[in-house]
Amino acid sequence: MTSIVKTALAAAMAAALSSVSAAAVMAQDVTLTLISAEQDAVVAPVIAAFEAKYPNIKVQHQSIPFESMNATIEARIGGQDSSIDVMFVDSPRVPAMVSRGYLKSLEDLRGEIEPLVTPVALDALSVNGTIYTLPLWTSTQMMFYNKDLLDKAGIPYPGSNAEDRLTYQQIVDLSKKAQAAGAKYGFTFEQVDRYYQLQPIFESVGAGSGLTGEGNLTASITNDNWVKGAQFYSSLFADGIAPRGVPVGQIPPLFSNGEVAFFVGGPWRLDGFQKAEGLKFGVAPVPYFEGGKPVTPTGSWALAVSPYSAHPDEAMLLAKFMTLDPEGAFKTVEANPIPPVNLKAFDIYIDWFAAKFEGVGEDAKKIMTYELRDTAISRPLSAGYVAFEEVMNRVFGDLRNGADVVPTLQDAERELNSTLSRIQ
Amino acid sequence: MTTARIKPARVLHIATIAAAGIVFFLPLWWIFISAMRPEDDIFRYLNPIGWETFLPTRWTFDHFVALFQSTFGRSIFNSLFVAVATVAGGLIVCTLAAFALAVIEFPGRNIVFTLMIVSFLIPFDAIALPLYYVMRGAELQNTYLGLILPGVGNGLAVFLLRQFFLGLPKELREAAMVDGMGWFQVFWRIYLPLTGPAMISAGLIMFIFQWQAYLWPLLIAPATEYKVAAVSIAQFNSAYGIAFGPIMAGAMCISLIPMLILVFFQPYFTNSVASTGSKE
Amino acid sequence: MSKSKNVLVALAFLAPAILAVSILRIWPALVAVHESLLAPRATTYSLDNYIYIFTDPIFQSSVVTTLFFSIVVNPLQIAVALGLAILLNNKLPGTGFWRTLILLPVAIPASVSAVVWAAALRPDGLANAMLAVFGIGPQPFLTSPQQALACIILVTSWIGVGYWMTILLAGLQDIPKSLYEAARIDGMNRGQQFRFVTLPQLRRPLTFVLVADTVANFLVFAPVQILTRGGPQRSTNLIMHEIYTRAFATGDKSSAYAATVVLILLMLTVVAIQFRMMGDQGDKA
Repeated sequence: MTSIVKTALAAAMAAALSSVSAAAVMAQDVTLTLISAEQDAVVAPVIAAFEAKYPNIKVQHQSIPFESMNATIEARIGGQDSSIDVMFVDSPRVPAMVSRGYLKSLEDLRGEIEPLVTPVALDALSVNGTIYTLPLWTSTQMMFYNKDLLDKAGIPYPGSNAEDRLTYQQIVDLSKKAQAAGAKYGFTFEQVDRYYQLQPIFESVGAGSGLTGEGNLTASITNDNWVKGAQFYSSLFADGIAPRGVPVGQIPPLFSNGEVAFFVGGPWRLDGFQKAEGLKFGVAPVPYFEGGKPVTPTGSWALAVSPYSAHPDEAMLLAKFMTLDPEGAFKTVEANPIPPVNLKAFDIYIDWFAAKFEGVGEDAKKIMTYELRDTAISRPLSAGYVAFEEVMNRVFGDLRNGADVVPTLQDAERELNSTLSRIQ
Repeated sequence: MTTARIKPARVLHIATIAAAGIVFFLPLWWIFISAMRPEDDIFRYLNPIGWETFLPTRWTFDHFVALFQSTFGRSIFNSLFVAVATVAGGLIVCTLAAFALAVIEFPGRNIVFTLMIVSFLIPFDAIALPLYYVMRGAELQNTYLGLILPGVGNGLAVFLLRQFFLGLPKELREAAMVDGMGWFQVFWRIYLPLTGPAMISAGLIMFIFQWQAYLWPLLIAPATEYKVAAVSIAQFNSAYGIAFGPIMAGAMCISLIPMLILVFFQPYFTNSVASTGSKE
Repeated sequence: MSKSKNVLVALAFLAPAILAVSILRIWPALVAVHESLLAPRATTYSLDNYIYIFTDPIFQSSVVTTLFFSIVVNPLQIAVALGLAILLNNKLPGTGFWRTLILLPVAIPASVSAVVWAAALRPDGLANAMLAVFGIGPQPFLTSPQQALACIILVTSWIGVGYWMTILLAGLQDIPKSLYEAARIDGMNRGQQFRFVTLPQLRRPLTFVLVADTVANFLVFAPVQILTRGGPQRSTNLIMHEIYTRAFATGDKSSAYAATVVLILLMLTVVAIQFRMMGDQGDKA
C-alpha cells in the first residue's frame, strides 16, 4: 500500500474507533443514587421526566427518614462514600456541611442561578458569599381558621390580604372568645417546640434570631425582647389557649377534628384539611407582634452533588434538571405541593396549586405570593445551627410545659455557648 | 375422686392473669384498630373514653393499600430473611461458644467470658459509625451479610446459654468422658439435645435484636432492595406531617409476625428440662 | 484431659464467636476510645474530652438521672417479672395465650410503641381518660419534670417485663417439684418455700435477668428520644440520649465517644458487682 492510502486508512480507522468509543460511552448506562427524606412517590415524577430526557442515565432513589438524615450524611459523605451522587440538603445545615468539606463550590453556576431566585433564597444557598447548593424547595406559612368555631363565637373571618394581618394580641383575645363559645383550643402552631416555626415570634418582636457574633456562633437569647417573646409563647399554654403535652405530630389532627379555632401552619396542610370530614376553614396571613414587623419562616430542602460522587457530570445534570429547569423543578413538587424556589417554576406551580383547592385556593395563592416576596426570613446561617436548633427545640418544649422563662433561657444560653465553642 | 370444682381462688387467679394480659395488650389493640380506621379518626376518640376508643366506627383498608404501594412489602421480606438467617447462624455460633465457656475447663476461660459480657455492654448505636467504616471496608454496604453479621455474635445470647449449660450436672460430662468421648461428641450427643428451651430463648434474643434494629440497617442498607421494615415505615414520617394511618398499618404487619412466632413457640419456652430425665 | 490441651478444643468452639465479637463490637469500640482521646481539631492525645464532659453540668445531671433511674427501675422490673412468672406458672386454660400477650410488646419496634404511649400519655389522652373513670384528676405525665421519668419507667417496663418474665418462668419450671414436697414435709409455709427453695434455685436465671436488665436499662434510648427528647427540663435526659444528641445533633463526636467510654466503664463496674453478689464463680454446677 502507498503511504497516502496507509495514512488515509489510519485516519479512517481512528475516526471510526473514536465514534465507536463515543457511542459506547453514550450507550453506557450510568445509575445515579439520589437520597432524600421524601417517599419514593414524591420524587417519582421528576425521575421519570429526567430519565425520559436522558435515556442513558438511571436514577435510584433512597428514602432516608428525616431524623436520621444527619447520621446518614455523617456516615456516608463523612466516610467519603461514592454511594451518594445527589442529595437533598436541609438548608440551615449547609454551613456545617461546608465546614466539614461535604459540599463543593458551585460559583461557576452563579450566572444561571441568580436570575431564578429571590435574594433571601440566594443567601440560603450560600456561605460567606459562595454558592454551595442548588435551589429546590422553600416554604411559607399561613393561618387557618375554623369557620364553625368562629361563627359560634361571633368572630368575623379574618381577611386574606396583607393589610388584614392581625396582631398576636388580637389573636389571643379572639381565641379566648372562641374558647368561651365552646372551642377546645383557641390557637396553635403546627410545629410547636420547633425553631423553624417559632423563629418569627422573636424576629417579629425585634429580638433577633438568637445567634450573633462572628459566624453566628454566639448565643444571644436572654435579651429583653427574647424574654418578651418567650413569655408570650409560654403564656399561650399556661392560659390554656394552646394545647400542652400533645406531641408535634399529633397537632394537625386537632384542627382536622375541629378542636382548634386558629392554626398557623404550612400550605402542605391544605390537602389534609380539605379532605377532613365536616371541617370548614379559611386562610389568612400569620399574625405579628404589635409594633413589630410581619415575619414568616422560610426555607426547606436544597439540592447538592456529593463531592465523592463517581459520576459528577451526570449527577450535575440531574441536579440542574431538578432545580434550574422550570419544568423539572415543577415536577419535583407535582406530588408534594410545596413551593419551588425557582421563580419560573413557582409561577407554573402557584396556578396549578390554587386550582386544586376550591374556595381557599385563590386566597392561599395570594398569601403565599406576598409572604414569600416580602416577609420571608431565613434561619441563621451558622456552622453551629444544628446544635443551636437542638437546644432551642428543647427550650421551647420546656417553656410549653411551664418552665420558668428567664432561668430556662439563661441556662440554655450558657449551654449553647459551651457547645458552640467546640465548633469552629 | 372429686369432680372438678370451680374454686373461687382459681377463678381469681385466672381473672388476675387475664387482667394482666389485657393491660399489656391494650396499646397494641389500639395500634391495630388505628390501622383500620380513617386517618382523622385515629386521634378523635382519645378522651373521654367511649366504646369508639377501642372499636372503629368507620373502617377502611386504605392505609394498607398505601403501605403496600410503597416499598413495605419487600422490606418485610428483608426483615424476615435477615432475622431468620441471624438466628440460624447465631445459634450455631453462640451455642458452641457457650458450651466451651460453661463446660470445658481451660486457662483464660474467664477472660473470654468477660469479653462476651463487655461486648453486649457496648451500646450498639454509639459504635454504629466506626462499625460502618469497618463494614464498608469489606464492601458490605447494601448486602444481606452487612445486616446479618452484627447480629450473629450476640454476647447476651452466649451469656444466656452459658447460664443454662452451667445448670446441667457435671455427671453428664464425666460419664461421657469415662466412655472416651471427645468434646464435640459430648456437645453434640449429650448437651445439645437438652438445650431446646434455652436455644429458643437465645433465638428470641437474636430475632428481637434484628427485628428492632433501626439505625444500623439505615446506615448499611438504605437501598430499596435491602431496606428493612422498621426503616420502611419511617418514610411516612416526613418533614411535612406524619401519615399515621400507614404507620399503624405497617406496625400491625410488623407486629403480627413475631406474634405468630411467639404463639407457636410459647409452649416450648418453658418445657422443663425435667421431662428429659436429667433432674430427677 | 489436661487443662491446657483443652485450650485448643475450646478455641475451636469459641473461634466464630470471638471473631464476630472482636471485629464487630470490640474493634469499633476501640476506635471510639481512640477518638475520645482526641479533642476536636487536635492531633495529640489528651483527656480534654473527658474533662469537658465531667465539667459539663448537663452531662453530670445526665449521669445522676441515669443512676437514679437504674436504682428504681431494675428492682421494680425484676419484682414485677418474678411476680408475673409465679402467677403464670401453671397449667390453667389459656395461660399460654396470656403469656404470649405479655411477651408481645418486646417485638414491636420502639418507634411504634412510642407513638401509642405518646397518645396515651397526652394530657387529653387515654391514660387520663381512664383515670377519669376512677375519679382521679388529669395528670401532667410527660409535661411534668416530676412525672416524666416515671412515665419512661412505665413505657420501658411495658416493653421489657414480658421478656424477663419468660426467662424466670422457664427457671421456675425447672425447679423439681420434689424440692417443694420436701419443704412442705419439713413444715415450711409458702413464704419460706419461696425464700429457701424458689430463690436459690432461680439463682442462675436471676443472675442473667439482673445483669441483662441492668444493661438494657442503662442503654434505654428510643422511648426518651421519641417521647420526651430528654425533657421536660432534662428530667429524662438519660445517658444514651445524651450521647446520641452529642454525636448526631450537636456533631460533637469526640465528646460523645468519651461519654460512651464512661458509660461502658460504669456498666462494667455495676455488672462486676452484680456477678459478685450473685456468687457466680463460673464453674459451679
